[in-house]
Amino acid sequence: MYLLEFIPSGLLVALLGLLVLRRVYATLPCFFAYAAFAVGADLARFLVHSHPGAYYATYWITEAGYDLLGILVMYEVLRAVLGALTRAWWARLIFPAVLLAGVVLSLARAHAAPTQFSRRLAFCILIGEIAARFVQVFVFAGLVALVRLLGLRWRQFPFGVAAGFGLYSTVALLITTKLSDFGTRFMFLWNVTSLVAYSLAVLIWIWFFSVPQKTENPSPELSALSPVDLKQYKDALRRMR
Amino acid sequence: MLSLIFTWLSVAWGFLSCIYMLRCAWTRFPKRDVDADDVIPFLYPVDISLAESLLDPATEFEFRWKLRPPEFREAQRKRMRLYLELTRRMAHNATVLVQYADAENNSRDPRRVGLASTLQQKAIEVRIYSLLTRIKLRLWLLLRSELLTSKPVLAHLRTAGNINGLQTYNALKTAAAAAFVQLPPDELDSLTRSL
Repeated sequence: MYLLEFIPSGLLVALLGLLVLRRVYATLPCFFAYAAFAVGADLARFLVHSHPGAYYATYWITEAGYDLLGILVMYEVLRAVLGALTRAWWARLIFPAVLLAGVVLSLARAHAAPTQFSRRLAFCILIGEIAARFVQVFVFAGLVALVRLLGLRWRQFPFGVAAGFGLYSTVALLITTKLSDFGTRFMFLWNVTSLVAYSLAVLIWIWFFSVPQKTENPSPELSALSPVDLKQYKDALRRMR
Repeated sequence: MLSLIFTWLSVAWGFLSCIYMLRCAWTRFPKRDVDADDVIPFLYPVDISLAESLLDPATEFEFRWKLRPPEFREAQRKRMRLYLELTRRMAHNATVLVQYADAENNSRDPRRVGLASTLQQKAIEVRIYSLLTRIKLRLWLLLRSELLTSKPVLAHLRTAGNINGLQTYNALKTAAAAAFVQLPPDELDSLTRSL
């Protein structure tokens, strides 16, 4: 079990290297920050794991960081995918609506199955974590529905990011729900399943980022049509009218 | 209880999405190359002048003025079905062009990639417009809303989700002409007629 905990960390280091190689920090800065933060957080937790007090503080601080970055990454994904679709006013409301739905569901879950935290801050971080999981599932499932309905190209980086988060968050939500049903008897399975799901998510990201993405914004000089092409294009337009 | 139901629905939706993605990854690699030959024969012609007349408020007013209410309702239902067919064709053509643009995105020529990107963006806007308009039309037809009020007004369908349908479809045609400019003139002509 102890060794199993290092698998996601190793995969995250590989992912971070790949992200640097693909210069993802320029196109998806929040996701790059998330991966870098995850590597740093794992390292920090490892360094303090034999000091309970420091580990407790580090754990909750890094969990808050994960929540915040996880939500920012989803905003980045939606902006990357929907930004190219339409500049309609309602498109800007999608993310706030998804975030609101996530927070409301998280609070409702907390109300239905109250947690045993005495510290208010830890409780807030946990609520934020479950809200982030809901947001990630909604964004991922929403994008998959868009792929089907609108015929979007799904083999692109933002879809890969959403797919990884979507898989992990779906499993995490399922486990969280079952944990509240079964209590601590479920803890070992929760840990193993969670680690496996997160490792799979990182593998999905590695798979998506392993293929370089084509540039879609060529320079103006390259996009100029030749005179022959231009004449043909004008003829085609004339015939259409 | 309600939150638990929503949680389970979210989990189920998430798992179904994972299965769909897995299926995509399993079946679509290597991706089928769609070239110009896979586009033109699969397009359905869309009569833009007919769409313009269906969405024209003056024509609708004329119908309302000349026909008795039951006749107008019947005529309006026919016009709705006709516009539903036109939007279905628009959506279908947009799907065909998106598939072509997907294949073109793998091209090594940055100019072709740029044109494919524009084509894809316009095609997706047409898909969004068609989707929203078809939902609205189907609801109107299903609920027989014309029996209750003098509405629905077809002219209101000119814009859906802040997208002007006919303008966007014309932009799609322009983008398609630009993307297929390398075709021989007769094929380009065939493309423009098929859209």
